[in-house]
Amino acid sequence: MKRLLLPLLVIVLFYSDSVIHLVFPESLFGDEQVAVSRLFLIGLLFMAAFLDRNTALKYSFLFGFFFDIFYTGILGAYMFFLPLIVYISSKLVKVLENHLFVFCFIVLFSVFLLELIMFQLNVLVERTEMTAAQFMTTRLGPTLLLNFVIYALLAVPLKNAFEKLPRI
Amino acid sequence: MPQLFTNKRLIILLGSIIVLVALIGFSLRDREHLSWPEQFINDVIGLGQAVVSKPAQGVAGFFDDIENLRHTYEENKKLKERIQQTAQLESEVERLKRDNEELRTVLGKRESLADYEPIQATVIARNPDRWYDVITIDQGEASGVQPNMAVITAEGLVGKVKTASKFTSTVQLLSAHDSRSRVSAVIQGDENIFGLIEGYDKQKKALSMTKIPYDAKVKEGMLVTTSGMGGVFPEGLVIGKVKEMTPDEFGLTQTALIEPAASFDGFEHVMVTKRGMTTVLPEEEEQGQVLVEGGDL
Repeated sequence: MKRLLLPLLVIVLFYSDSVIHLVFPESLFGDEQVAVSRLFLIGLLFMAAFLDRNTALKYSFLFGFFFDIFYTGILGAYMFFLPLIVYISSKLVKVLENHLFVFCFIVLFSVFLLELIMFQLNVLVERTEMTAAQFMTTRLGPTLLLNFVIYALLAVPLKNAFEKLPRI
Repeated sequence: MPQLFTNKRLIILLGSIIVLVALIGFSLRDREHLSWPEQFINDVIGLGQAVVSKPAQGVAGFFDDIENLRHTYEENKKLKERIQQTAQLESEVERLKRDNEELRTVLGKRESLADYEPIQATVIARNPDRWYDVITIDQGEASGVQPNMAVITAEGLVGKVKTASKFTSTVQLLSAHDSRSRVSAVIQGDENIFGLIEGYDKQKKALSMTKIPYDAKVKEGMLVTTSGMGGVFPEGLVIGKVKEMTPDEFGLTQTALIEPAASFDGFEHVMVTKRGMTTVLPEEEEQGQVLVEGGDL
């Protein structure tokens, strides 16, 4: 039974972003601003830091693939970049200190990195007309703020959850 | 300084970059039908998504209700004024409808481009990364949804079906940036003025309608609907109202900014319109040149 808990938690995290988007109206930050929750990524980073890096890599690969198919339709984007970012952040955790306050910066940096990569990718495949300046002003700030709030609310529960779970 | 890239890691990295590029190339092809593994994964994830999003929408609806409650008094006042006009309009519509039917029987012409069969659907997911405006609905091929069908809310046209799996489908909203997406539209006036809806201006929150003849006299506030000439969408779905006219760069045609009638966020129920008349899709090999509604003209 305990073996099922980790996949279940990942599934919940996987759905969480779209549910957050459904529940909170788009105009939360005003009409122009776009805030994107990245709870799924935050969860994976916690898994890498407090459970096991390789497990987190496997999950981010698999669920990144699902994310691509079900939500975005560009296959390969999240499948490739989620594990990459999890990997980079786990290296940073090793270099820096494994403390929740320091970890906050690593998480926000990872969110920034993911947003930046996805921005470049979407410009590349012509799915957006946003310029870099627009991206910085309308998207990056609100996104980092929202994810900071999510981190502040869920950091302790997530840490506790991953420290207690068995490694699969 | 620890060595970041050992040989093995470098090979994995390079290998996955190749796979990434290949996969992105594969998914960007203009394909209407998903491969079966994708359909299967879509259906399975869609099932779970439907389970989690129903209660979430309940919560969201509750907040909306509270918000609505605050404006009830003013809205009520306005609506009462409207109702009186509506009754008159209704009787007129009824009379015209009967007239139309009678004349059609006289002509022996039964089918019309405006006929469609609505398929009710609920929005179960919105693209959480918000780069591309797509939503997922809980009806698929099993209930008759096909790619390129028009999707409407009570207010008007919101998008078209992009891909359909067995039990879920992906809907691309009009606000999504897609240079290949066009909708054949008509501005209703004394004379019908045809044009194409292409593109959405996020800053101005307006759709742009191009290829309007230079001598067409379009006034602000005129109603824009689908023309049904694109081959897939039925005729007469409301798109919005003309907001502003500008001549294009060579002065040969005009471009209209259109304020969409439907909002592209915050809706929960949509209808997929299955056109009564035969739909026309370009042949596979023609698709490069011929643009059809939602890749279409």
